[in-house]
Amino acid sequence: MPVFNLCLKIFRRNWLAVFIYVAIFVAISVTIAITSVHDQSSGNGFTQQKAKIAFISEEKTPLTEGFRQELAKHADFVSIPDSKEQLQDALFFRQVTYVLRIPKGFTKNILDGGTMQIEKTIVPESVENAYIDIDVQQYWNLARLYVRHDPGLTQEQLTERLRQNLDGDTPVRMNVHEHAKTKDSFSMYYFNFLSYALSAILIMGISTVMIVFNKQDLRRRIFCSPSSPLKVNLQIILADLLFAAVALVALVGFCFLLDAKSFTTPNMPYFLVNAVAFTACITSLSFLVGNLLNNLSAMSGVCNILTLGPSFISGVFVPQEFLNDTVLKIASFTPTYWYVQANTKIAKLTDFDWQNLRPVFTSTLILLTFTAAFAALSLVVGKRKRLME
Amino acid sequence: MIHVKNLVKRYGELVALDHLSLDVREGEIFGLLGPNGSGKSTAINCILSLLSFDKGEVEIFGKTMAPDAYDLKRKIGVVMQNVAVFEELTVYENIDYFCGLYIRNREERRHLVEEAIHFVELDDFRKFYPKKLSGGLLRRLNIACGIAHKPKLIFLDEPTVAVDPQSRNKILEGIERLNEQGVTIVYTSHYMEEVEQICSRIVIMDKGRVIASGTKEELKAMITLGEKITVEVFSINEEQLSQLRTLPGIVSVEHIDRQLYIKSGKGSNNLEIVLDFLKKRQIGFGRIYSELPTLNDVFLEITGKQLRD
Amino acid sequence: MFRHVFVYRFKYLIRDRELVFWTFVFPVILASFFYMAFFNINKDEAFHPINVAVVYGGEEQYDAPFKAVIEDASKGKDKLFNLKDATSQSDAEQWLKKGRIAGYFTSGETVKLTIKDSELEQSIMKSFADQYRSSRLAVQRIAQDHPDSLKEELLKDIGNRGNYVKETAGGNSEPDSMLNYFYALIAMACFYGSFWGMKEVTDIQADISDRAARVNTAPVHKLLAFIAGSAAALVILFTEMLLLLAYLNFALHISFGNRAGLVILTALTGSVLGLSFGALISAIVKKGAGMKVAILTVATMIGSFLSGMMYMDMKYLIARYVPFLAWLNPVNLLTDAFYALYYYDSLSHYVRTMGMMCIFILLFCTGTYLIVRRRKYAGL
Repeated sequence: MPVFNLCLKIFRRNWLAVFIYVAIFVAISVTIAITSVHDQSSGNGFTQQKAKIAFISEEKTPLTEGFRQELAKHADFVSIPDSKEQLQDALFFRQVTYVLRIPKGFTKNILDGGTMQIEKTIVPESVENAYIDIDVQQYWNLARLYVRHDPGLTQEQLTERLRQNLDGDTPVRMNVHEHAKTKDSFSMYYFNFLSYALSAILIMGISTVMIVFNKQDLRRRIFCSPSSPLKVNLQIILADLLFAAVALVALVGFCFLLDAKSFTTPNMPYFLVNAVAFTACITSLSFLVGNLLNNLSAMSGVCNILTLGPSFISGVFVPQEFLNDTVLKIASFTPTYWYVQANTKIAKLTDFDWQNLRPVFTSTLILLTFTAAFAALSLVVGKRKRLME
Repeated sequence: MIHVKNLVKRYGELVALDHLSLDVREGEIFGLLGPNGSGKSTAINCILSLLSFDKGEVEIFGKTMAPDAYDLKRKIGVVMQNVAVFEELTVYENIDYFCGLYIRNREERRHLVEEAIHFVELDDFRKFYPKKLSGGLLRRLNIACGIAHKPKLIFLDEPTVAVDPQSRNKILEGIERLNEQGVTIVYTSHYMEEVEQICSRIVIMDKGRVIASGTKEELKAMITLGEKITVEVFSINEEQLSQLRTLPGIVSVEHIDRQLYIKSGKGSNNLEIVLDFLKKRQIGFGRIYSELPTLNDVFLEITGKQLRD
Repeated sequence: MFRHVFVYRFKYLIRDRELVFWTFVFPVILASFFYMAFFNINKDEAFHPINVAVVYGGEEQYDAPFKAVIEDASKGKDKLFNLKDATSQSDAEQWLKKGRIAGYFTSGETVKLTIKDSELEQSIMKSFADQYRSSRLAVQRIAQDHPDSLKEELLKDIGNRGNYVKETAGGNSEPDSMLNYFYALIAMACFYGSFWGMKEVTDIQADISDRAARVNTAPVHKLLAFIAGSAAALVILFTEMLLLLAYLNFALHISFGNRAGLVILTALTGSVLGLSFGALISAIVKKGAGMKVAILTVATMIGSFLSGMMYMDMKYLIARYVPFLAWLNPVNLLTDAFYALYYYDSLSHYVRTMGMMCIFILLFCTGTYLIVRRRKYAGL
C-alpha cells in the first residue's frame, strides 16, 4: 500500500507540531488536575470552601473579637500589612479574595442603632466571598436585633448571646451513593479538554496529508498510476483513521496515567464512546478542511480558529453553565458543544437506565450527524474540485 | 579594473580559495569557469567584500574594496546565483527597490527601471508578482534587479542555471549587448558552451586555484590536442590500427564498436592524412566527424577529469 | 535612502498576509472568543434560582415559621429558590436522585439538609439553613428574656435586615482576572510581532538570505538599512496593536484604566520588545527558517501560557511558587504592565515592570547589534 505508507510518512514529518500541542495540552491538564479539582475521595461529607480574607480592624472591642471568631468558621485569615499597595497586591495575586475593614467607632455606632458599614474590597468572581458576606450580615443583623429588643445587655453579654445563637451547624446528610464519582472529576475536565487537543492534532495532521495529496501534479501522477482512484482514496482514509485512532489512544492514555481511578467507574465506557464519536466527527471535519484549502500556511490559521473558537464558546475552557445563552445557541452549531454536553451528562450519571442515558445518546447521535454531514460535504467539495481542474 | 592578488579563504580545514589571483580588464566579458564547488562563488563573494578572507587583496577600479567602499559599490551590479527577489513586491517594485539603493533621484530612477524592464523584456509583466513568473522570466527579473542602476561593472554568478534554452539565449544576448555599451562583465558558469560563446577572456578554476587563463583560443592552444576525428569503419585489423597510430600528427587512436576515435595534434591537414590512409588500405568507412577541441578538453587535459561531473 | 528602504520594507511586510493574520486578525478573533466565553461571568444574571424541596416534619410550631421564610425566599424577581412541594420524603429522595432538585430541607426543631453533591448551590442552601437557625435562636432568646416584648415587632425586625457591609474599591478598579486574559492576548500579539523582527534580520544578514547579500553589495550602510526596515516593522506592529487596543476597548468594552497615554506607551514598548526578540533569535539561529519560526512560536506560546492566557491560575501559581519566573518572562511582564495600569493607583508596580521590559529590550537589541554590525561574513 504505497499511498498508505506515504501518508504515514507525512504524519511522521509533522511530529514536532503535534508534539507541541500535546505538550501544551498535558501541561494545562496537569495544572488543572493540581489546582481546580477538589479531592473527591476525602469529601464523603459536606465541605464548604473557606475564603482567604485579610481582617483589618481599626478598633478592638468584645463585639469585633466575637465577630472575628465567628468568621473564622468560614474563612482563613491571612495577615497582610495595612497598606494600600500591599493589599492590592494581595488581591491581585489572590493571596486573599476578601479584604475586610472594620472602621473606628463601628461597635459604638451599632450599639447606638446607627447604620455604619464595614468596608470590603474583594476579588469579584470568587464564590467563597458570598459566604463571608452572609456571615457578616447575619452577625450584625442579630446584634442589631438584640440592641433594639434587649437594650439592657452589656457588650460582653451581647457577644456571648451571639456566640450561642451562631453556634452549631445545620445537619447535612450526603447521599453519597447517589453521587457520581466522575462528577467534576479530573476525568470530566480532561475529556472536555481533550476535544481541544484532539481537534488541533487531527485537523493539522489530516488536512496536511489531504493538502499534499490534493496538489494537482501529485494527484494526477497518482491517478496515472495503475491503481484505481477508489483504492487510492481508501488508502488515504485508512491512514487518516489510523492517525486519528493513535491520537485518541495516546490522549486517553495520558488520562489513564493521571487519573487511573476514573477508569474503574461505570461512567468511563460512556466517556470513551463519546470521545470516539467526537474523533470520528473531527476526522471528517479535517477531511473537509483538507479538501477546501490549498496551502499549508492558510491551514494553520484555519486550524487554530476552528479548534480554539468552538472550545471557547462550547464550554471546554469555561464551563457551559457560565456561558451566555446567545453564545451557547451559536455554540450548538458546533460538534464540540454536543461533545461537552454529553460529557457533562455522563459525568453526573449514577443510574444507567434508558431514561438517564437517553440525553447522552441524543448528544452522541448529533455528533454522528455532524460526522455524516462533514463527510458528505467533503465528498462533494472534493469531486467539484477535481472536475473544475 | 579588478585586481585580485593571492586571495586565500579557508573554511576550517577546507581551503576554498588557494592563492587566487585574477585581473579583469575594462570592457571585457570575463569568464570564470569551473565545476561546481571549484570556488567561483566564493571568489565573487570575497571580491564583493561579502565574505571575509584570510589573506590577499582585492582592488576594484584601482581602490581597495571594503564593505563601506560605497563609491565603488555604486558602480557595481550583482546578479546572484539564486533568485533573490521579494515575493510580496511586483516586478516593477522589486527592480525599483534595488535600484533605489543606488540611485536617489526619483525621476532618474523611474527612467532606469523602465529601461531595465525593457532590457530584459518584462514589459508585459511589470505588475506581476514573482510567484506568477516562470523560471526563465524570474531569472530575467533577477538580472534586472542587479543591473537597473547602470553599473560599470557587473558580476553575474551562474545566471542561467535551470533556465530554458530560449531564455538562456535571451540572457546571453543581453549580456553581450551590455558589454557593447561598455560595461565590464564578470561571468561565472559551469557551462563551458556559454563561456565559450560570450567571454572574451576566461579563467578556469579548480579547487580554489586558477589552472588556466587566456582567451579561448589561447586556452586551446595550451593543450596538445588539435582535432578530434571520429570515423565509422566497417572492418579494421590490429595491424592497420598500429600503422594508423604511427602516422604523423596522430596522437592516439581508439577503436570501439566500429568507431575510430582519433586525436591529432596541431596542424591543418590531419583529416586528410587519415582519409588518405583509409583509402590506401581500402578500409571501408562511413560517416566522419571532425571536431575542434572544447574547453572541456582543456579542462580534461589539465586536471585529468571532466568539467561536467 | 532611509525613506526609500522604509517605504519598500513597509510595502513588503504589509503584503505578507499570513503575518498580518497572526499578529492582528488572529488576536482579534481570539479576543472575540474570549469575550464570548467570559462576558457572562461576574454578572448577577448568571445566577439561576436553585431547585429545592421541603419535607415538613409535621410539628406545626416548627413547620410554620420555616415555611413562611422559605416561601418568602422563593418569591419575586430576585428569588433564591424554586420551591417544589414534596408530599413525602420519598418524593424528595426521588427528585434528588434524578437531579431535579439540588437538595431538600427537612423542617423540625433543627432544619436538616439532604444533598448528594457538594457544590455552590448546596452551600447556599446550607447558609440559608444556618441563617434561619441562628435567627430563630436569637428570637427565642429575646422572647424568653423579655416575655413582654412584642413578638410581632420582633419578627418584623428580623425580616427587615440592614446592610452592614459596603464594597470599596481597593484602588482605581477592582481586581478582575478576566482582564488578564485580554492583556495576555495583547502580549501574545506583540510577541507574534517577533516574526516581523525576524524578517528584518533575515533580509539584512547576507549569511541568511540572498536578498540580504544583494542589499549588502549596494552602497548603503547596513545598519541604516536595518534600522529603516525595523522602523517599518515597528510602525506596522504598533499600528496593529493600537487597532487591537481600540477593538478591545471600544467594541468589547475591555477596561484599560484611565491612563490612556501610558497604555499606548506600553503597547509601543511591547511592540519593540516583540520585534527585538524576533530579531535576536533570527540573528542567533543562522540557518533554517522553519527552526526560527518554531522557536518563536513555541517561546510565544509558553510565555503566554505562563502569563495565564490559556489558564488564568497559572499566573497565581507562578507568583506563589516561582515568583522570579514572572520577572523573567517578557510576555508576562507586558501582561502585568497593562494590568498594573488598570489596577494600581500608584505607578510603582507599572514602573517596575516597564523597567524590566526595557532591560530585556536593551538585551535583545544589544545582542542583535553585536551580530548584525558585522559586515563581512565568515561563510555564506
